[in-house]
Amino acid sequence: MIERKHKRLKYHHDENSDNESGDDELGPNITDLGPVDYPSGEHRLQHPYCLWFAKRPNRSHVGTEGYGQSLRLVGQVGTVEQWWALYSHIVRLQDIAPHRDVHLFKKGIMPMWEDPANKKGGKWVMRLRKDHGSRAWENLCLAMLGEQFMAGNEICGVVVSTRYQECLLNIWNRTASDIATTARIRDALKRLLNMPANVTLEYKVHSDCLKASKTVIPYNTLKS
Amino acid sequence: MSSSPLAKQVTGSKAIPTRKVVINDACELPNYYSATPGGTLYSTTPGGTRIVYEPSFIMNLRNSPLSKTPPTYEIPSSLLRGSTPEKKTKSPSKRHYNKNHIDSTKRDTKQIEDEDQFSLDL
Repeated sequence: MIERKHKRLKYHHDENSDNESGDDELGPNITDLGPVDYPSGEHRLQHPYCLWFAKRPNRSHVGTEGYGQSLRLVGQVGTVEQWWALYSHIVRLQDIAPHRDVHLFKKGIMPMWEDPANKKGGKWVMRLRKDHGSRAWENLCLAMLGEQFMAGNEICGVVVSTRYQECLLNIWNRTASDIATTARIRDALKRLLNMPANVTLEYKVHSDCLKASKTVIPYNTLKS
Repeated sequence: MSSSPLAKQVTGSKAIPTRKVVINDACELPNYYSATPGGTLYSTTPGGTRIVYEPSFIMNLRNSPLSKTPPTYEIPSSLLRGSTPEKKTKSPSKRHYNKNHIDSTKRDTKQIEDEDQFSLDL
């Protein structure tokens, strides 16, 4: 097992060293950390996932290009143990500066609207007070990793976006026009995050997001 | 009628462990007849079984030794838990360090970029 781990580490470094410019070895150029490891004895997940960080670009370079540039692949997980190994070694949500995005997406899907898996998709948006955010984010991740949404292969990933006083949780799915599935995801969200049944969540279609202004129904009453 | 305490201990019944999933609405039922509410598929046809974990099950693995081992890949120092901006500039990784020696002007711009990109509120 040690040997395998070593090989993987090497793969990662080799990939990095391709970047001769020396610009940023852990920068946005890396979009793959190599094959996912499944050591025996660990609890394999249904899908491998990648964790990405991004800083929201300034208004001066709004546009998907600027966004793609700021995306940073941080790690990948194929088992429950690997998830905790990553999660407990990265910075806590409450310590992340405002206007950052953390994405946990299925491996192979870029956390961008342009990705083929997201092109026809959309997302449920929840706005939370920052002090409720960490717990809700963790619950959201665990629910997705454990396949709790019962939505077949519709789920693409989850995102948390930090703001000054609050944070936004999103869950992305493939087919915005599949109303039955999006409703199923919404109901699962409410159940898994212990939201009151009468709470209203907003669904955004990715293709509309490019043009539409952002109005989100506030939701501040999550039970912790 | 009256059995000895020992016999009672041996034959005493124990409840079969079950878990109750409360369904409030028809839409919470699974899509497939082969799935139980809560998500577990009983069918074992190839490709038909999903690996489902309850959040509490995942939580219980949080403190296993494997879960506490850092990942094999390098996490950017600015995103490491417990890192502070000071620490970040002082102790870059070895590779980082070597590169810095090759071109110190590059290092300076790089660090500024790094901090700008992921500075922490600590």
